[in-house]
Amino acid sequence: MDFRFTDEEEAFRKEVRAFLEKELPSDWPGVDPDMYHEDAFDHIHEVSMETQKKFAAKGWLGLTWPKKYGGQEQPLWKQMILEQEVTYRGAPGVDAYQFIGGLGDLLLQFGTEEQKEKYLPMMVRGEIKCATGMSEPNAGSDLANLQLRADLQGDYFILNGQKTWQSAAHRAQLAPVYVRTDPEAYKHRGISIVLVDYRTPGITISPLVMMSGLEAFCEVFYDNVKIPKENLLGELNGGWKVMMAALSHERSYGIMLIMNIRRDLDNLVKYCRETVVNGEPLSNDTKVRNKLADMASQLEVARNMGFKMNYLALTGGDVTQTANQIKVLGGVMTQRVAALGMQIMGLYGQLGPVGGNWRQMDPNKDKWTKLGGRTKHLYLSTVCNTIAAGTTEVARNAIAGGLGLPREPKPAPKK
Amino acid sequence: MDFGLSESQEMLRKIARDFFADKLPKTLVKEVTGTEKGYPADLWKDMAELGWMGLILPEEYGGSEANFADLGILIEEMGRACMPGPFFSTVVLGAPLVLDAGNAAQKKSILPRVARGEIILTVAFAEAQALYDTASYQAEAVKAGDAYVINGTKLFVPDAHVADYIICAAKTGRRATLFLVDARAPGVKSKLLPSLGAERQCEVTFGDVRVSKANILGGLNKAGTYIEKMINQAAAAKCAEMVGGAGQVMEMSVTYAKERVQFGRAIGSQQSIQHHLANMLNDLDECRSVTSRAIWMISEGLPCAREVSVAKCVVNEACRRVAWLGHQIHGAIAFQQDHDMHLYFKQAKVGEVAFGDNGYHGEVIARELGL
Repeated sequence: MDFRFTDEEEAFRKEVRAFLEKELPSDWPGVDPDMYHEDAFDHIHEVSMETQKKFAAKGWLGLTWPKKYGGQEQPLWKQMILEQEVTYRGAPGVDAYQFIGGLGDLLLQFGTEEQKEKYLPMMVRGEIKCATGMSEPNAGSDLANLQLRADLQGDYFILNGQKTWQSAAHRAQLAPVYVRTDPEAYKHRGISIVLVDYRTPGITISPLVMMSGLEAFCEVFYDNVKIPKENLLGELNGGWKVMMAALSHERSYGIMLIMNIRRDLDNLVKYCRETVVNGEPLSNDTKVRNKLADMASQLEVARNMGFKMNYLALTGGDVTQTANQIKVLGGVMTQRVAALGMQIMGLYGQLGPVGGNWRQMDPNKDKWTKLGGRTKHLYLSTVCNTIAAGTTEVARNAIAGGLGLPREPKPAPKK
Repeated sequence: MDFGLSESQEMLRKIARDFFADKLPKTLVKEVTGTEKGYPADLWKDMAELGWMGLILPEEYGGSEANFADLGILIEEMGRACMPGPFFSTVVLGAPLVLDAGNAAQKKSILPRVARGEIILTVAFAEAQALYDTASYQAEAVKAGDAYVINGTKLFVPDAHVADYIICAAKTGRRATLFLVDARAPGVKSKLLPSLGAERQCEVTFGDVRVSKANILGGLNKAGTYIEKMINQAAAAKCAEMVGGAGQVMEMSVTYAKERVQFGRAIGSQQSIQHHLANMLNDLDECRSVTSRAIWMISEGLPCAREVSVAKCVVNEACRRVAWLGHQIHGAIAFQQDHDMHLYFKQAKVGEVAFGDNGYHGEVIARELGL
């Protein structure tokens, strides 16, 4: 056993921190580790795209990917440290839909040589944004029930139907879209994946307004959309396997949530040290101290689970069970920190601009807003963290499955 | 003991429920939430015609002399309907304060107009340095001949932007005094705070506001007692509103769990969802009974500081849990602004911090326990 980081690891961590310190605006407020936040506002999206270019110049996009596609062939631990530091700092620009178990990894695992050569170098250069098309109105937890049709006609798939809850699709150019190619086969046996260029005629994207006020979750409608058949990713009707790989990547998103929310706890501690109530700093209040200490402990435990998952991944172990546990933890921890922030800040917790970003504060409206309204934003935005990318219930079901428990009975396959 | 409602209370509940179902669809709630004013003016008129503004006021001021428990029923229905507007600030905060602390002339001037729905009242108490402790207020009223001149800033004042009168608790020496201030008087400025839910809260600044000494409510240096009583009643009424919201969350969640099909069957047939709903029901029922007890005690004029604080502590936590689980059961559909669920989620949080969070009421309970 050894819980230390190596000198090499520490050195790379320092390098990433110094880079972020230098390249991000000094008052950078931080974004949630999901595209729906950084892409909801024009001025954040701009910083995001600029930062993406800077990451590209540094060789940090596709850090582990083969050199022939523009990657750096660096070890996986570097990618992990990069992700941890970027998400702690709330830096935008490392598009999770491309680089953190996103489309890039799917292409490497399942893509044809032509697809890899076409898309990976573009990503590495920081030229595009991606999204992902999974959920539909009747395919949430029951993802295998998806209905978006793709009929192969000659050299094209013709897509008809709808996707929903797509983070930042309105900003993206490219997405792996999960479609039904065989309506006769039983649920997960008739699914394929096609790479969709969102500029293709027949696609309509309309952003939905979330309860936090952010406008970056999208509905995407397909009306006779022609997608070249060479855009099939993986085998025809073999999409379920790709989807499982994608979901298992997506659930490791939990560790990003945990890293990101740690900064909010740090900010809350600072707030308590600086805020005087009844002549005493809040940080002198025993109850406040206990609650912050308890939350810090919980976050330490959660982060340690994240490190364990990384260790398993680096040593070739099976990460499925741990990834599900981290998915549950990540969602729950962000909600707990948000709720604690609201509790400690009391009436002031209610105040702030949409997005909870002190760059967006209006000096006229936000005189009494504390922490840029980040706590209010988190309280509203973290509701989705136990739902998006697989609900905690589904993740817990999977954990139970991993324990060898019998599955709930499923209806008989339709003929 | 009797946990039931009287016939007239049942009737009031039904009238209110039908009224809101008819007049206040959620689309309207969301529409007015986006406006500066924050509530539909027609609804206000209709409610006045039903006699709700004067529900607990004496007949001599145009009221119908119902009791606080009746008002609680009405407010629970308002919570269920997510009703925006200055009803709470006018009818639960302002009018009882005037009735309680006002002299004959003040009551006669203010209350009949409240009962007719002609004026809106609010109370400005909380400040940056002190929320409920009137002795620590910094806003100050200084005597100048037959008048007082008020200077200072009040925060989280509900509905001040539409109020006709603001009852302001200002420091007069070592203690505070209540002043009935014309909201349009020179020097009074109300600014909306960028708050969380459909409710409207303001920063109100008083800059050299002259108030005649005839507008002192309840006598010099008497704000403390009145504000404490008001907070106590308002906390209980807020519980009723939150319970109304939680009841609606419960109903929506049960309906959805029965209708939403995933994996070929209703999600409500799954144990994880059933357990959520069972936990929500326990929370809801506990909240409802503890709130009824507190409100009944106020209605009967019994001392109930501890009972109200216990209710607020329980309701604060439980209604928040219910709203969270309502979201969890609804999944992605409900964290969109088009859905209704987030209205209740926000209502639960705003209610939790209003009129005492668990820190405040926990301290009341501790004191009542002799700590």
